[in-house]
Amino acid sequence: MTTARATLARQPRADLLSWITTTDHKRIGILYLTTSLVYFGVAGLLALAIRTQLARPANDFVGVHTYAQLFTLHGTAMIFLFVAPFALGLANFLLPLQIGAPDMAFPRLNATSYWMFLFGGLVIFAGAATNEGAAATGWTAYAPLSEIKISTGLGQDLWIVGVFIVSVATILTSINFITTVFVYRAPGMTMWRIPIFAWEMVATSLLIFMAFPALAADLLLLFVDRNFGGHAFDPAYGGSALLWQHLFWFFGHPEVYVMILPYFGVISEIIPVFSRKPIFGYTGIVLAAFAIAGLSMGVWAHHMFTTGAVDDPFFSFMSFLIAVPTGVKFFDWIATMWGGSISFETPMLFALGFLVNFLLGGITGVMIASPPIDFQAHQSYFIVAHMHYVLGGGSLFAIFAALFFWWPKMFGRKLREGLGAWSFWLLFIGFNVTFLPMHFMGLEGMPRRVYTYDATGVLPLLNAIATAGSYLMAIGVLVFLWNVVVSAFDRTPVGDDPWEANSLEWATTSPPPEYNFDRLPPIRSDRPVFDARHPERDPSAVR
Amino acid sequence: MGRSWWPQPVTTQASLMASNWLLFLCAGAVVALIIWGLVAFALLRWRRKRGAATTLPAQLRTNIALEITWTLVPLVLVCILFIYTYRAEAGVEALVPYPDVTVAVNAYRWGWSFGYRGGPTVQGSFSDVPQLVLPRNETTRIILTSSDVNHAFWVPAFLFKRDAIPGRITVFDLRPEKDGTYVGHCAEFCGYAHALMGFSVKVVPPADYARWLKSGPS
Amino acid sequence: MKVGLRLFLSSGAFAIVIAVVYWLLAREPAGTILLGFLAFALSFIAGYMIVAEREADLWGDDAQAKNTEAVGEVVGTYSVRSPLPIVSAAALTCVGLGLVVSPTIAVMGIIAIFALGALFIVQSS
Ligand SMILES: [Cu+2]
Repeated sequence: MTTARATLARQPRADLLSWITTTDHKRIGILYLTTSLVYFGVAGLLALAIRTQLARPANDFVGVHTYAQLFTLHGTAMIFLFVAPFALGLANFLLPLQIGAPDMAFPRLNATSYWMFLFGGLVIFAGAATNEGAAATGWTAYAPLSEIKISTGLGQDLWIVGVFIVSVATILTSINFITTVFVYRAPGMTMWRIPIFAWEMVATSLLIFMAFPALAADLLLLFVDRNFGGHAFDPAYGGSALLWQHLFWFFGHPEVYVMILPYFGVISEIIPVFSRKPIFGYTGIVLAAFAIAGLSMGVWAHHMFTTGAVDDPFFSFMSFLIAVPTGVKFFDWIATMWGGSISFETPMLFALGFLVNFLLGGITGVMIASPPIDFQAHQSYFIVAHMHYVLGGGSLFAIFAALFFWWPKMFGRKLREGLGAWSFWLLFIGFNVTFLPMHFMGLEGMPRRVYTYDATGVLPLLNAIATAGSYLMAIGVLVFLWNVVVSAFDRTPVGDDPWEANSLEWATTSPPPEYNFDRLPPIRSDRPVFDARHPERDPSAVR
Repeated sequence: MGRSWWPQPVTTQASLMASNWLLFLCAGAVVALIIWGLVAFALLRWRRKRGAATTLPAQLRTNIALEITWTLVPLVLVCILFIYTYRAEAGVEALVPYPDVTVAVNAYRWGWSFGYRGGPTVQGSFSDVPQLVLPRNETTRIILTSSDVNHAFWVPAFLFKRDAIPGRITVFDLRPEKDGTYVGHCAEFCGYAHALMGFSVKVVPPADYARWLKSGPS
Repeated sequence: MKVGLRLFLSSGAFAIVIAVVYWLLAREPAGTILLGFLAFALSFIAGYMIVAEREADLWGDDAQAKNTEAVGEVVGTYSVRSPLPIVSAAALTCVGLGLVVSPTIAVMGIIAIFALGALFIVQSS
């Protein structure tokens, strides 16, 4: 046994070849996180270009052709290449550590998923280098607009191929996650003792498995239509323009929860640590995750209320119902803080920012689930505001919370607290200055995906404010990058458990060895590291 | 910005949608204030004070009664909201048996054509924005379709939009109640000139409308 | 009944209920077929798990299990390095790109996939 470990301990090397051939879940996790953050940087620059174009009406910062590519690539990259894959990367790094496993169930499959994700993203962006430019039909690529008759460019085909590759990679990863959590838990780590983040990833994986095949089918049909003379979405030949929307949103709405459930998990890990209390209502939070996952499979056509071709009351009611389990989570987080001993380190700041922003996104979500409101709000800037409050104010803030929280575990050093608070406040203020006015733009009648707007009325003022806010957010991101640079020179060791946290990843060294654990503490509750720190307490006590 | 942040409703249908919006706005504001208030209270009341003795707070994990309450109360709330939504939507989508005016609207890249039953067809592209003329206090039936890709017929002042989908015909009624000229947009991204694909709606007294229909568009 | 099985059984049952309710209310074929497929896939996995879990005896399910023997590299075997993932992902990407750009690239990708499959079989036997 000693020799076996010695052989393993010699393995980790830092050269390039060891990274591209790695099947270690921690390295794959870091590759995933880095790649998705690079895509985030690119998509963020595209967003700045969009906001610059919209700073005043009839602006000519970019042309109309470029503008359509900008918002298509921005949406595609943020959704397919950043918010969802970041969660996959985080789970890659964390899941085996949190359940006390040495690696994922299928390490090579895991690495394959990562490389497919990387290459798929590059294929999508490769469209920008073609003659007619990248895809320009929005991230939703509605047929018949995306059909060959209208969108003749190669960029649209590359978009289809790229998104297809990414979606297959995502499905493979979801199978890997579910198997890992079901089968590879450490002795004593029963399902009802795994951290909430692991539960949320099980729910997310289930959702991916249920929803992504519909996207793959949709893309295949469009690909056949464009390249092999199919007519799936062409009404002139008996196809249906609505079919694209049904298949797309059957995937697309669950995808929203794929991009939010992992971050509910992140928040559920961070709030207890900085409140010095266990998560309140563990079982309730887990059941709520599955209620959200289940219900979200029956709400897809709330994106189609204005088609006049779907059963509005069914989809409206199902969408309203999702507010209930989401509310349960909110109340559980508040109850976790209630009576605690709350401190405001940077991860907690971002988690609280999540609570504030996401609540607004959730409330506007209930509003637009009401068809008579959606008739006005749909495809307007109100939708843009709503979805950015969910994915930007929600997921993005949880992403920063996760980066600050798990950075010491990944790299063995902390990010600076002072700079962290700066980037939090810049991002929080910048975010709200950017996206709060968009609600009013939409209600005033500004459609989305436009490169110019009415020069009279309040729209020019609101747009100028939003553009200023977006620059503030950019500064917040730059401060974060600076934080990464300066903390890289920090040689202070952080120890195994710098936050006095609860879950198993804090029981091993920072960063963990290739085989994850030298020794595991006894696992007798969902907080093995807390139990080890407080041997005087009975792990099964509920008070 | 209008009252409660919506444009002032100018059709019978829009009034239904405006009161539905007001209900959701109030409900949303109450929920937001309660939850933000609870968060703020918890943060102020239980923030860790500098230099305080580091005793572990009570490790409370669950309270079944509380958890059932905060599941059931929102459930009842959304059911009530659903009932109001259902009623409002039924009113908005109701079709009168005999509309006073029928207009066939066709959307295309990038313009609109308005074909009046027993009258002219008005057409215009984004460089020459067409006008839809409607009589006040009479019900107009719109028969909407598209001849190429998805578009959407949106008049923000009517608080209403409906998708124009190729191969499908969608029908709805509008009953304007105030004279005036209102801006209309295409609301579904349909290609490069989408942002310019506008139209205008002019609501006139019924007598003027009859005269206009007879003399033809100028 | 183990948690995983219960999860797939209940989500399968939920999908069946939603599919039926949706058909009765909406009479819309696309969504009904999608929900039907969903119900089928989830029930299929649940069925598989009924068989698989009968044989499974996981130490992770034992609430009282001691974990001293379960640390480090002794928990299962896993490969630490492999060139297969990046090459196979590149080959798959070539197939997709080739369909759009040029058939030559696609053929190269397909050949690479078969070569990798052969290599994998040789490696694991
Ligand atoms: Cu249009």
